Amino acid sequence: MSELTNLVLSIADNKQMLGLRYAEWATRAPSLEADIAAAAMGLDDLGHSRVLYGCLDPLGDDPRGPERESDAASLSALPYFDAPWTSWGQFVAANAILDTAFSVMIEACVNGSVEVLQHRLRKMLNEERYHFMHGRSWLRSGIDAKPLDEAWREALEWFGPPDGDTAKLHREGALSLGPGELRARLEERLETTAPKLDLSWKGWDAKRRRTSPGAIDEQTFAMLRGLEEKRFAPAAKPA
Amino acid sequence: MTENNGGKYRRVSGEAVEYEVFARKTRVEPLHQVGSVVAPDDDLAAAYARATYDEERWIEMTIVRADHVISLWSPGES
Repeated sequence: MSELTNLVLSIADNKQMLGLRYAEWATRAPSLEADIAAAAMGLDDLGHSRVLYGCLDPLGDDPRGPERESDAASLSALPYFDAPWTSWGQFVAANAILDTAFSVMIEACVNGSVEVLQHRLRKMLNEERYHFMHGRSWLRSGIDAKPLDEAWREALEWFGPPDGDTAKLHREGALSLGPGELRARLEERLETTAPKLDLSWKGWDAKRRRTSPGAIDEQTFAMLRGLEEKRFAPAAKPA
Repeated sequence: MTENNGGKYRRVSGEAVEYEVFARKTRVEPLHQVGSVVAPDDDLAAAYARATYDEERWIEMTIVRADHVISLWSPGES
């Protein structure tokens, strides 16, 4: 079931990037409490990504190849995470819309028919409750429409086209919700409707779950591979 | 960034108030105050309390708006 492992890998990659981008705001948020919340949510999401990566092997079809070590464009994270956020509004839109979209998908996995996902992902939903409360509260205080529209667009695209792999996984029972239900559930949780968006599936990459090309910035990719750390390591002594 | 104004705080997110945070580690001990957070609403206060005071393995955590606490007497008044 490669559609399922691709989806789980995409949730993991997105959670990893979400966690890193949250953490970048741990000293830049508008208050000390928000700094601490950014750090805590970053740690949560990085932890969630570890659990999700750990599900790939038991699912029996780990789609990760060696290209992930050299090609940032082989990661399955959304364009929203390609570059560090430059405004608090981007943080809030990601926190409220994208983090909740990932939770809604995880909920569909937990309520689906695949045992390893049912068991391992449930705890995440408890922790995500606080991310949701944080995002919803900040969203109510008002942010610019641009990051909000961008987050909505990417969340709805990430749920997949009406006749794509998410719909197939739903028909087969692995997911309890299909793309339409995922969108409805996201709107219900956020107590709003998505802005009017003209979604086009022309550039849809089913593996990366995004419609536009691109990749995370070079420095973040180097940091993920440990290259940034090696830069600071003492030079090896000659043999 | 923060200005206290008679128990209310002016934050970038609007008016905010103080919440007291209570927690306990075992069922046999009572809830005790572990700190406080400042937030504009209950949702954010809960998220902040959990993020700020989650280092310990609490079995229970609650928050109360500080202005909902009725003081009977204070130090030096008993």
